[in-house]
Amino acid sequence: MAARPRPSSDEAREALRDAMARLAAGDQAALEEIYRATRVKLFGICLRILGDRKEAEDALQDVYVNLWQRADRYDPTRASPIAWLAAFARNRAIDRLRTGKVRGGAVPVEEAAPLADETPLADALLVDAEQAAQIHKCLGVLDARTQGHIRAAFFEGKTYAQLAEAADVPLGTMKSWIRRGLQRLRACLEASEAA
Amino acid sequence: MSGTEQTPEEGVTRDDPMIAAEWALGLLEGEELLAARGKYATDPNFAWRKEWWDGWFAPLSDAMPGAEPGEHVWTGITARVTAAQAAAGAPAAEGAAGANVVALEARVRLWQRVAGLSSIAAAALLAWVALTPARAPDAPPAQIAAAAPMVATVPIGETGLRLDVTYIPESERMVVAAIGLTPDGVHDHELWLVPADGTPLQSLGVVEPGAVRSMTLPAAAVAKLGAGASLVLTREPIGGKPADKDAGPVVAKGAFSRV
Repeated sequence: MAARPRPSSDEAREALRDAMARLAAGDQAALEEIYRATRVKLFGICLRILGDRKEAEDALQDVYVNLWQRADRYDPTRASPIAWLAAFARNRAIDRLRTGKVRGGAVPVEEAAPLADETPLADALLVDAEQAAQIHKCLGVLDARTQGHIRAAFFEGKTYAQLAEAADVPLGTMKSWIRRGLQRLRACLEASEAA
Repeated sequence: MSGTEQTPEEGVTRDDPMIAAEWALGLLEGEELLAARGKYATDPNFAWRKEWWDGWFAPLSDAMPGAEPGEHVWTGITARVTAAQAAAGAPAAEGAAGANVVALEARVRLWQRVAGLSSIAAAALLAWVALTPARAPDAPPAQIAAAAPMVATVPIGETGLRLDVTYIPESERMVVAAIGLTPDGVHDHELWLVPADGTPLQSLGVVEPGAVRSMTLPAAAVAKLGAGASLVLTREPIGGKPADKDAGPVVAKGAFSRV
């Protein structure tokens, strides 16, 4: 789980934080800077969730237009800009998936897919390495099955019902498995915050 | 499908942090999703927890390979931003913009500063302005206020979400804002006018979740739309009430009042 040091990543993060602040203050030019710096990562997220290039591009457009409207919602004291933007993009993509316009999961992922660290990331910004290590560690404590389902939800945008169907178990069983996992995950993450 | 699920055999309580986690992961759909969104809007603790989970899950997205979007995406973004600014009367205005919700929200902010109306009522009003081609997008708010619109707010259960309906007299147009609502894939919601004189309910059509829509009212409905008229929202099968069936359960109601 080594943090891959990138000489420019601190500066990139700082520049992004600065651009977000300017956008919130009404500087429209900042939007283009943010777009240039983050589009590859955020488009990757939309594409992964939606599984369709056209849909993902529409979602991406919504992400930045929404960002322009609501840049003031970003709280720099709570999250790094790229973490916040990544969550923002994924949430928008999931929203789109849930409106029923698209059938998700067109980009299937084996449940045992390797995690982040082997995946090349082109020029996409990375979320804070320390935080990444912690969530991976806490997920790693869960049994393989639960981990697999939580990952499938995160990476493929699956609902409880879809996960239950894929695993051929009753909906209630799937909910139990995942909730138990989430409860342990929360305890583990909170413990790391307290430490 | 609805109702709080319990998993007694595992002893897992589905408390708010759990619901926030489920939502952050994207597991929820339908009415559960609607409820979570409503809670987010009204409950700061819940909102905090949702963002807490978002923050923790965010690094996982580093495993999603990046990809380069087409050039037209940025063009589209600038076009929408410019349109919104034009609609809001910003200096960058470049002619009449399309009537999309983006333009609308920019106008809402403007309107809130100008007139201090409730935001969604203002959104609905301004949507109407934006959707009416005959009127210049920069029409001063005074012209709108002169129309003495009627506004009804229809709160949806305990969700904190609501439907905002604005009617502009003499225009025969009504704007229905269902922002924040999401379809559950099984039901539609149909809006009904309840005339003050006790005459039968009149359907105003199916509400489109998550959208602001302007519609032309039938003359029969316009005639009944005055002080004391109210609205009810019923849950129906997709497509609205079947002609040969009774209307479904009333899920929300509201009354018109003048702004």
